[in-house]
Amino acid sequence: MADETSTPQKRGPIKSSVGSVAVQRRREHAVMVGKERREALMRTKRLCRVGVSSENADIPVEDDMMMDEEQSVLEDQTLKAVEKLKHAIGYQGKGATQKRVGALRELRRLLSKSEYPPVEAALEAGVMPTLVQCLSFGSPDEQLLEAAWCMTNIAAGKPEETKALLPALPLLIAHMGEKSSLPVAEQCAWALGNVAGEEEELRNVLLSQGALQPLARMMLPNKGSTVRTAAWALSNLIKGPDPKAATDLIRIDGVIDAILRHLKRGDEELATEVAWVVVYLTALSNSATSMLAKSNLLQIIVDRLASSNSLQLLIPLLRSLGNLVAGDSYITNNVLVAGREITVNVIQALIKCLKSEHRVLKKESAWVLSNIAAGSVEHKKIIHSSEAVSVLMRLLSTAPFDIRKEVAYVLGNLCVAPAEGSGRPNLIVEHLVSLVHGGCLGGFIDLVRSADTEAARLGLQFMELVLRGMPNGEGPKLVEAEDGIDAMERFQFHENEDLRNMANELVDKYFGEDYGLDS
Amino acid sequence: MDVELEESGTGFKFPCWNPLRRRFQPGAPFFAAGTIERELLAKQVALELTEEEKQQIREGVEDWGSSEVFCPIVGCGAYLKSLEDFEDHYNARHTASCSVCSRVYPTSRLLSIHVSEAHDSFFQAKVARGYAMYECLVEGCDAKLKSYKSRHQHLVDKHKFPSSFEFFKKAKPSKRQRQKVQRKQALHKTENASTAMQVEQENIDNLVSAVSRLSTSDSPSSISFGRRHTRGLTFVPRAIQKERRPDLSPEQMKK
Repeated sequence: MADETSTPQKRGPIKSSVGSVAVQRRREHAVMVGKERREALMRTKRLCRVGVSSENADIPVEDDMMMDEEQSVLEDQTLKAVEKLKHAIGYQGKGATQKRVGALRELRRLLSKSEYPPVEAALEAGVMPTLVQCLSFGSPDEQLLEAAWCMTNIAAGKPEETKALLPALPLLIAHMGEKSSLPVAEQCAWALGNVAGEEEELRNVLLSQGALQPLARMMLPNKGSTVRTAAWALSNLIKGPDPKAATDLIRIDGVIDAILRHLKRGDEELATEVAWVVVYLTALSNSATSMLAKSNLLQIIVDRLASSNSLQLLIPLLRSLGNLVAGDSYITNNVLVAGREITVNVIQALIKCLKSEHRVLKKESAWVLSNIAAGSVEHKKIIHSSEAVSVLMRLLSTAPFDIRKEVAYVLGNLCVAPAEGSGRPNLIVEHLVSLVHGGCLGGFIDLVRSADTEAARLGLQFMELVLRGMPNGEGPKLVEAEDGIDAMERFQFHENEDLRNMANELVDKYFGEDYGLDS
Repeated sequence: MDVELEESGTGFKFPCWNPLRRRFQPGAPFFAAGTIERELLAKQVALELTEEEKQQIREGVEDWGSSEVFCPIVGCGAYLKSLEDFEDHYNARHTASCSVCSRVYPTSRLLSIHVSEAHDSFFQAKVARGYAMYECLVEGCDAKLKSYKSRHQHLVDKHKFPSSFEFFKKAKPSKRQRQKVQRKQALHKTENASTAMQVEQENIDNLVSAVSRLSTSDSPSSISFGRRHTRGLTFVPRAIQKERRPDLSPEQMKK
């Protein structure tokens, strides 16, 4: 480990100051740290702190993150490490490999232990060309591993830093080949996953250089951390927005089978990463969605949704289900047929998510239900007669806004049959009556009052159903009782012409001159 | 099947609820919360995230969505951080109510225009003498017109207001009045509507009926300005609120 005896003169004053300047600097540092931490979090990149293989007998000398280490100390050490590495590369004599691996290891530790790895310093010291040399064909595995690990962490931060890996990409891809040792391949996959997670352009470069095939192959075996890392890297690589990579991936031999296998039998961590691959496949590629819809993926997803309680896994499973239902009518028409066990299971799984305490699960399960409810009358009946309705009604009154909006979609969809031709879709009066008597009208009128255009529109459309469709002319009275007229009158000076017209239309038609005359 | 279109005189067709499947792209804002949650859960150990930090980040995501809003009332555009803020802002700024007839207006300027035009006899006197008293409703346009109708035309021609727009809507008579009218109509079948209204005129307390004299008889009254009752009274059917005395101040009428 780099020694700390030789400290440059300039650091002296900083170290000894205890006055307000130091306090100020620490405070500024804390604010910066907060922001950087958040940014580090939002990135879809992952820093590699612990080696991929357990064979990597790295004695955890200073395993704790050097939280108190001043950045300038780290930077100095980094400069030294880079210099050492450069010399080691040049050295031709005995023990050359050891020298190189040793130097790489030092650098790698600096780049993986601290909270804010001194990546910029390393790059400025010219580390990249040296690391690329370390990746040359025929190099010993240990060297390849350490070099790829350094690159992984260099690419885990800021965009400019990630882009610095460009010259290394073809080599990293090559070292994922089937002849490479597993830890080396995995570390390369990790580095590439970070690069892919940065931006679309880099993804395109990786795809043109042929990164997809080897990564897909790495996802085929039954177990091992390599499979999981490859799946994660793939999820970054295919995330588009161009659907081509997703479409190409699903066509590779063995991929569908591996996906189904891992989702069914893989441990929760592996299943999570594979589920995210499915999320992107189903969100982006119609052919992938179609192929997966015809496999038994749905059953596997539903079973897993029912049996797991890990939020990490539930989120991508639910979203994949949602994408399948939203993306291909095959699911609602051919798979989720009324009376089949799978249909019951899907609704049950969705109810489980609706009842969860996690916001994301509640919102996205409501979304999936809304899409099923947009299907045939049988689908609406199934949902309407299930426990879902009481959960939804509760959510409509109490949940945060974004969830209430999705719930509104479900409830409204339950009341309207699919449109036939160009006519107005028919009302399902039985459902409307039961939902309105169940107390949902207030929730819809709240949406009308919100400043969100989409929500207001939904609310007004539901009010129209109530005004038109409630039997015995009950509609207007019910709307009035919930302050619906007030809510609609808000739109008189609203800047949105569409909403203005809709609201005025309803007020005129149902609360016009004749209102109340026969009461 | 009954292919009934909801058409109003303006040719507007109400877009009835139509159940459709909704699909989102992976990067859509709809998915943002779940995508962030993925990163949070994957890195919470490595970054040693505290519960507080996680909560802050989750709340940060929620703010991105449609929570932030610019007030959509024409001419306002105030920036509001959340939907609760919007609700408060709306109640504070856009519910100016008339102390005479309890109608509510979205701005104090419109309220004052209403008060002049509906309750000020001096205003009516000047109109009678030919002064251009009817102000254009659009802030910044200083046009003044000589009659309610010509102002209306100005709004349509210059400011593209819909022709069905009515600043001063004919108010609906209260339930008691309606029943009175119905009884009278039953008794005096040959009498026309103006007779019924003359009877109302005697009821000076009820300015609502005085108003019904002013408006044109067959305007489609598509847009109503000002409510006949205040916000504070929930769950009270409109007809009953009608019975309340208009000389009560809005504060007293509110809860």
